[in-house]
Amino acid sequence: MSALRLISNRTSQQALSNSDYTWDYEYYEYGPVSFEGLKAHKYSIVIGFWVGLAVFVIFMFFVLTLLTKTGAPHQDNAELSEKRFCMNSFVADFGRPLESERVFSHQMAEESQSLFHFCINEVDHMNKEKESQKGSRLESNTHFQEVPKSSGMFEEDLHCLTKFNIPNFVNTEQNSSLGEDDLLISEPPIILENKLVRQSSHRILD
Amino acid sequence: KNISDFSINITDCMQVVVPEEVFFTVAAAGILENLLILIAVVRNKNLHLPMYFFICSLAISDMLGSLYKTLENIFIILCNMGYLTRHGDFEKKLDDAMDSMFILSLLGSIFSLLAIAADRYITIFYALRYHHIMTLRRALVILAIIWAFCTGSSIAIALFSYEAATVIPFTILFPLMMFFILCLYVHMFLLARSHAKKIASLPSSTVHHRTNMKGAITLTIFLGVFLCCWAPFVLHILLARFCPHNPYCACYMSIFHVNGTLIMCNAIINPMIFAFRSPELRSTFKKMFYCSK
Repeated sequence: MSALRLISNRTSQQALSNSDYTWDYEYYEYGPVSFEGLKAHKYSIVIGFWVGLAVFVIFMFFVLTLLTKTGAPHQDNAELSEKRFCMNSFVADFGRPLESERVFSHQMAEESQSLFHFCINEVDHMNKEKESQKGSRLESNTHFQEVPKSSGMFEEDLHCLTKFNIPNFVNTEQNSSLGEDDLLISEPPIILENKLVRQSSHRILD
Repeated sequence: KNISDFSINITDCMQVVVPEEVFFTVAAAGILENLLILIAVVRNKNLHLPMYFFICSLAISDMLGSLYKTLENIFIILCNMGYLTRHGDFEKKLDDAMDSMFILSLLGSIFSLLAIAADRYITIFYALRYHHIMTLRRALVILAIIWAFCTGSSIAIALFSYEAATVIPFTILFPLMMFFILCLYVHMFLLARSHAKKIASLPSSTVHHRTNMKGAITLTIFLGVFLCCWAPFVLHILLARFCPHNPYCACYMSIFHVNGTLIMCNAIINPMIFAFRSPELRSTFKKMFYCSK
């Protein structure tokens, strides 16, 4: 790599060539190359490479855009825009999947109920696996093991909520409502999408 | 061997030189930016999560790449000023060490990107059990394994770079990993698409009309930036190995400095598309800067 470096000698000690070779290696025999009789332009590899790279990136972009297109054309405009919004804000959050710092407070009540349902299912699932898994893997392991089942679902649900704290998922900050532009800058999706993620993940796991 | 009888033809491809000021500015910016990310993640307890550790690993690889270029430039300058000889044994070992650092940076970048993609994959497809699958300890173990492997292979590649056998796996690894990362993300995309179909059945949701290209743009930027910054250099390695005397290849190799600068630009762009997208990290930065004022 560094054997191929030519740097311009600022003090210009050599009259003929203003470049010097450094760190030479035997296998890099960068001897004089004759440029006689070239059929194509001498920078053809450079141009060809960059054009090919640009074409590939654009092609990849179009393939990805096609993948994100959803819905049949005959559906309602409202449904289509709903789908687009939800999917796009979900997909736009690739930068930080399932990371949410803003929670719509009016959805928290419904959301917490569905969370509890998932928690209950997850708790049952976890209890089945408890023998095989070490308790230390749970984040709130000490609490979980200490809380007996008879103490009611409430505390277990609370621990479930902490367990669902996928990176910055549920933030207790009460922020103002999101503007459209905030979501465009790849802000996290609203809780609705996260619920769906969990629904489908739950189905996948079952 | 000083090739002083190198005759210059008018039609020769002269080495494209990047001014040293540009070089050092880009390198310094890359190092500083990634260092800031490391400091922010270390200082903020909320950021002690597997996702941010993988982003830190990417920041470390970028820093190593920029550091390598800076050190190499410094050594070249010292050589020119006469403090170091060109053919000494010590310089050769130093050069080998720096080459291995550079390969370490490339391998570390690739594997960090892979780890980030895998982490996101698990977050989406195993969302309920993410905390069991990707614990902090496991993430650190994975990072240790990745860096041990990268260090070992970079030293091996630097030591045995004379053989053609090392260049080929190196250049095959690069597109292979990119393809694998692309597959992971495409699968996530397909899941997003199936989700969107289910969303239509939901009774209520606040709706804003959005363009459906945001995700495609994001992913294209992720992979496109990495490709555009590293692929020129990988091609350079290939051409230097297999056709150093071909005039076309020689012309491509004359833009070596531009390729090096591109790699350092990647170190600057990567934090913007990975780390700075996190609101938590951004707020940590703001606190750091406001506290220092």
